[in-house]
Amino acid sequence: MSDIADLPVPQQRPTGGPAIALRGLGKRFGDLIAVKGIDLDVPRGSFFGLVGPNGAGKTTTLSMVTGLLRPDAGHAFVLGRDVWSDPVATKRLVGVLPDGLKLFDRLTGLQLITYAGLLRGLSRELASERAAELVAALGLTEAQGKLVVDYSAGMTKKVTLASALVHAPRVLVLDEPFEAVDPISAATIRRILTGFVESGGTVVLSSHVMDLVERICTHVAVISDGLVLAAGELDAVRAGRSLEERFVDLVGGSTEVVGLSWLRTSSD
Amino acid sequence: MVAHLVRLKLALLRNIFRRSRAQAIGAIVGIVYFAVLVAGLAVILASFRASLDAARVVLPLAGAAGIVLWTVVPLFSFGSDPTLDPGRFATFAVPHRELAVGLVAAALVGLPSIASMVLSAGVVVAWSHTPASTLVAVVSTFIGLLTAITTSRWVSAVMTNAISSRRGRDVIAVLGLLLLVVVGPAVSFVANLGGDLRGMATATARVVAWSPLGWAWAAPGDVAAGEVGTGLVRLALAAALLVLVFALWSRVLRGEVDDPRAVSRTDSGTSMGDDLGLLTRLPGTPAGAVAARVLTYWRRDPRYQISMVMTPLVPLALLIPFYTGHLVWTPLLMGPLVSFLVGWSEHNSVAYESDALWLHIVSGTSGRDDRGGRLVPAVLLAAVLVPAYVLVGVAVAGRWDLLPAVLGLSVGLLGAGYAVSSVMSVVLPYPVAESGESPFNAPPGAAGITMAAQSLASVATLGLASPTLVLAWVAWQGSEWAVWGAGVVGLGLGGAVGLTGLRAGARLFDRRAPELLATLRRV
Repeated sequence: MSDIADLPVPQQRPTGGPAIALRGLGKRFGDLIAVKGIDLDVPRGSFFGLVGPNGAGKTTTLSMVTGLLRPDAGHAFVLGRDVWSDPVATKRLVGVLPDGLKLFDRLTGLQLITYAGLLRGLSRELASERAAELVAALGLTEAQGKLVVDYSAGMTKKVTLASALVHAPRVLVLDEPFEAVDPISAATIRRILTGFVESGGTVVLSSHVMDLVERICTHVAVISDGLVLAAGELDAVRAGRSLEERFVDLVGGSTEVVGLSWLRTSSD
Repeated sequence: MVAHLVRLKLALLRNIFRRSRAQAIGAIVGIVYFAVLVAGLAVILASFRASLDAARVVLPLAGAAGIVLWTVVPLFSFGSDPTLDPGRFATFAVPHRELAVGLVAAALVGLPSIASMVLSAGVVVAWSHTPASTLVAVVSTFIGLLTAITTSRWVSAVMTNAISSRRGRDVIAVLGLLLLVVVGPAVSFVANLGGDLRGMATATARVVAWSPLGWAWAAPGDVAAGEVGTGLVRLALAAALLVLVFALWSRVLRGEVDDPRAVSRTDSGTSMGDDLGLLTRLPGTPAGAVAARVLTYWRRDPRYQISMVMTPLVPLALLIPFYTGHLVWTPLLMGPLVSFLVGWSEHNSVAYESDALWLHIVSGTSGRDDRGGRLVPAVLLAAVLVPAYVLVGVAVAGRWDLLPAVLGLSVGLLGAGYAVSSVMSVVLPYPVAESGESPFNAPPGAAGITMAAQSLASVATLGLASPTLVLAWVAWQGSEWAVWGAGVVGLGLGGAVGLTGLRAGARLFDRRAPELLATLRRV
């Protein structure tokens, strides 16, 4: 870890301040402004859900927090460190599960997790020990010697999560961690993440399954069209209604179906 | 439907230029380069108008070779174009016949087809002796071109069926490779027969002209020479062949669309239990892990196996001119050639992993660890192959006095290759076959940038090694001081250039890793 004196934002107390702070974070792709200057605080020890419609900028935002996509404007801080001016120190604190990116899938599951540990600078003994433990915890023991390319979508998610956990991060950034995961595996992952939060870690996840976010998250932010529409504690955001109703309200989309009468073939 | 498919192909062609600026420039350079090459060839073909006799020997052979190339090359290097894979149209309920015509029409809109059309224009010019022969030339050349393209679609479709399992693909990859390795020496052996090359060509042309490969290409020559009857028979046969090939293609297509290949992947059957493989056999550091991972990939991924098998075999081809043409110097180049191949072939290494690179980025892997670890397997390979080929080459040529120069040249090329690869794989990754796809499957619209990047890597490697190259050439001219000069300069410069390139690549990686990832996601 880098020298404490070098840190850009000195902390009064080591436990104070948000786990993730975004300040005016923005990104454009050609003519499209995907993220329009987001300000957001993710409190330490929170289980934070990022919800939004398709194309809202969730993945773009998370990628700028994890160092995968360089922002065009603004800053992202993790535990007080600027992701883009102090990447090495920041990256040690963060575990990442991206969505839609490939893996080194010609490695076996166990090899991949160990590889992630070694890249993080763990010793080989520690990396392989933790990999074995993670494989057991995530129910991948039977498949640990198979190539990741032969895994199902759900198993691939689990092995990616294990790779994100192997270096014992303080903050987890997970993009769609429950997509394509069966209910039993989802319950396992949820237990692991809840335990992580209870022991002081912070989890940020994106999802468009409102029920799930409502059930497990303590805090939530609704983003749409590159802007934060609402953020805060779950109960404050949903304001006495279900998250789904509130979400539809905020995003402003209509759920009425117009037309498509020819699709109603029940009269045949 | 036909128009839709053609528009799809046009859009793909246009998209070549819509990648990053560097890649667009690369593509343009590649296209210009090939345009000049193709135009030159077309002029040469057209110049056979001067001699009907020569034309009747050369053009049927060239045409037949064109059909063979159209059949073989797409499978082995540029890959069957996945956008035209019939299986992809399975869900669209397009009438078979329209789809069959449309896919051939779409195949006509592509750089290789355009090149073939330009060459065909040259052929037509060469046959334009009389109005009749010109007319027959236009018709039969068009038939020949369509036959070539339809055959290519048909063979691709048949092969795609055969290689839909990964194991099958791996087997075919290795078989195809062996074929290529055998064909090269065989061709150069025939070429080196010397002697009665002319007589043999004439005899071959006569046979080929009556074979299905040659019908379309020989017919205009018959008409031009006054043998109208023969010409029309060949033209009719050529047309019948086209109909037959089209029928075969339609049938395979029907099978593909009605009963598409299983979508689910087959298990590779690998199971290593809790064995960590090479990860336990190299140092437990980030760089060691990267090296172990790349080595594991070399063993498991057919895309790497190709270069693994090719690299040691290619230099052997240099023995052929030595034994057949008595060229004394060719074996001396075996060591330098293998060095060049080992260093150069890494210049697109990152693209093979595609965006799996995110793991290196989120874990803060330093450029030094990434670049260094990635080169370890290539260094290990060179450590075995280069000394072996340097010694064998010098021994075969019987020129032990040149050993220092040959060794120096080899090391110089190796270092230059590593340097160029370290930098280029960060700056200019270009599309390759995806992991798990056939290694011969190239992404659509990538031929131009591929050629440009490969040429750039070659030129840069040779440029960085040029001092050693010059000294080695002087040594070959008989200068004794240059023998040792090339040796010392090669070793020193090779090492220095290699390390400098590695460091530059590492710095670039540290600075541009997110941009590299963005490029990899696009390519």
